[in-house]
Amino acid sequence: MTEHTKSRFGKLLRLSAAVGSVSLTLAYAAEAGAWSLEEAAAPYKGTTIRTIGESLPPLEAMDKLKHKFEERTGITVVIEQYEHSEAVNKVMLDLNSKRGRYDFILQPHRELGRFVANGHLTPIERFMNDPKLRDPAFKPEEVLYQGLWKEISWYEGKAYGFPFTALTMYLWYRKDLLEDPKERAGFKAKYGYDMQVPATWDQYRDLAAWFTRPEKGFYGTAIQGKRHEALWYEWLNFLYSFGGDMMEAKSGSECGPIIVNSPEAVESLDYYKGLVKYSPSDTLNYFWDDVMVAMQQGKAFEMIMWNDATYAVEDPSQSTVSGKMGFDLIPQGKGGKVGQVEGWTYLIPAYAKNKEAAYLFIQWMMAFDQQLEQHMNGGASSRPDVYAAPDVQKITYSKASMDTNAVAIAKPTIPESPELTEILVLELSNVLAGKKTSQEGLDDAALAMNKLLGDCAPLKFPVK
Amino acid sequence: MNLSRWGSGILDRGVGPLFLVPALLLLVVLLVGPFLYMVGVSFTDLSFALPGHDGNFVGFENYRRLMREDPVFWQSFGTTLVFVSGVVSVEFGLGFALALLLFHHVQRRRFVLTLLLIPMMLAPVAVGLMWKLMLHGEFGMLTHYLRELGLLGPQTALLGNHDLVLPTVMLVDVWEWTPFVTLVFLAGLLSLPREPFEAAVMDGARPWQVFRDITVPLLRPIIALVLLLRGIDAFKEFDKVFILTGGGPGTATELISIYAWRVNFRNWDLGYGAVCAFMVYLVVLILCAVSYKAIYWTEGRAVK
Repeated sequence: MTEHTKSRFGKLLRLSAAVGSVSLTLAYAAEAGAWSLEEAAAPYKGTTIRTIGESLPPLEAMDKLKHKFEERTGITVVIEQYEHSEAVNKVMLDLNSKRGRYDFILQPHRELGRFVANGHLTPIERFMNDPKLRDPAFKPEEVLYQGLWKEISWYEGKAYGFPFTALTMYLWYRKDLLEDPKERAGFKAKYGYDMQVPATWDQYRDLAAWFTRPEKGFYGTAIQGKRHEALWYEWLNFLYSFGGDMMEAKSGSECGPIIVNSPEAVESLDYYKGLVKYSPSDTLNYFWDDVMVAMQQGKAFEMIMWNDATYAVEDPSQSTVSGKMGFDLIPQGKGGKVGQVEGWTYLIPAYAKNKEAAYLFIQWMMAFDQQLEQHMNGGASSRPDVYAAPDVQKITYSKASMDTNAVAIAKPTIPESPELTEILVLELSNVLAGKKTSQEGLDDAALAMNKLLGDCAPLKFPVK
Repeated sequence: MNLSRWGSGILDRGVGPLFLVPALLLLVVLLVGPFLYMVGVSFTDLSFALPGHDGNFVGFENYRRLMREDPVFWQSFGTTLVFVSGVVSVEFGLGFALALLLFHHVQRRRFVLTLLLIPMMLAPVAVGLMWKLMLHGEFGMLTHYLRELGLLGPQTALLGNHDLVLPTVMLVDVWEWTPFVTLVFLAGLLSLPREPFEAAVMDGARPWQVFRDITVPLLRPIIALVLLLRGIDAFKEFDKVFILTGGGPGTATELISIYAWRVNFRNWDLGYGAVCAFMVYLVVLILCAVSYKAIYWTEGRAVK
């Protein structure tokens, strides 16, 4: 999966960036035709559509934008915002009860397999092929990062929606401290080389060790060690970067030999565990919110964090370190330049009552203007042309986001993938807590994965 | 006159039990029904996650899996037993001692009692959040003072350490529920007849003898009640621990209720989840039966 996906992303990035602007011009020229949002929405005037998602800047930005759509179409949009797990659980209950409370939903793509396999979704083609609904100017096959779109919103060769956010993780570090002459001199004296943005994991660890000053309440890093999805997501960065993966599979919708207990994986977990001593004392009880607060309050030097949270650390009204931050790709190991991607995707449930109106809203949100505005207010667009916009280029973390999008590796989306996550979260937590060694923990994870998936996922590395 | 005779006539003819119907109906709809449904689901493969698992009958397969193939369940069962026996015995000892202190030596009982009851009146979620803040490794008040006193290293946090975390969450439970035990015991002590005590003192019994031979035997039903209520409650503990640790680090604080939640609402493996929930029910049922026996055993002896 690794090499394949990476090269595909790289190529597509260049291609779509080039094609993006051309196609936009063409698209606008074609718009002179008959289609207009007002006309398309006329039959649905007065209806209310309801959606649900994770209460974070991207959704808050959409909430602020929706009135423009409402004014143009007369369709009311209700957005329910919940914490990550809550948003996932509510959707699970709605879909299984077939009540159709939500006209469209925003969900992490790891859920895709079990939604599709249980027949909960309407393929997006149905609306895309309807000339009354389809805006001819909207050409997702040209304007989106194709790799991201395929990984986040497709399953077994079929599109079910469009990416709501392309979520990746990259390096956050304190630029002001990195450039501080006193720190630089001290660091060089101790480690024998100049302090710099960490390009390798050894450098990353040296920096973490150098800045760890518990007596001052300041730490080199902060890891997301709580028994929570956050732990798994964070470790995946290390796993991929050290050259490992969970399974050998060509796409997220397939399973393949289990390699989660490979020597590379064990090495990555040993390294990851080694960072605990450079983290705050209760780092094993931290998830993304806690490490974000640690950074906002100026208590940590570097960490691997999410692009959709970056907005909050650069916002002076809620962060003491805004303007002092630097962002970059995560350090490189044997796996080369990598990042992990988790997207949230727009989906239309099979039981939704106002599918057409929902599609019109999604299509409208995917257009350049809305994507740009959402992105500027904390979104994480899946359109390369948004990243190319001058205003976006000015955002400090734009380059890190874009670079990571280009090398991002996707993860399994098979129906069992949420359970795979649970298995790994448990074993990673056991290892961090000192109950098992990295080898033992990952061996146990491999066995549990094999038991869950059966013949399609044989063990590649013998369990010791 | 006639009317009242008519009324009592109806009651005599056994209409009285009819008045129980609304309450029984509620019980059936809200308790018995869902319970039977759960037992039914426990014999199926119902899963919201996996395709094709639409609730097909699988016999005792889920029960077999629980008994034979699920070490994590039994580990959390063990953790739960440690948690329950730990908190109930500490709360019992501490609560009883406090009640005796209040009963014998404190005049303005009402004021002290009001203060004591505050932890119990808070919502468990609020208790969890409050303690999470107090125990926070970086800016927690309690952590700060423990470090000042040298009881906690600068790189250790109570909720992040595998060995300290279970005793810590137990301590929070003790903080929350000891007042309840105190309250029940105090009520019990206040309701005891004075005569046996006066007689014992007349006969020259020492305070310890009075306590051992009169107070404790008379309080036996109360003791059984306290153990029963706290035992059941502690066995079902979920919210505080969930907020404080989520069951981690590792499986250090994964109580059986948290495990059942994980199976049901993370993996959506509802058939197997029903079995886990059923086990919780079974243990609580056994606890009830034992305590019930204990109460009647005491009364039987008292009659003699």
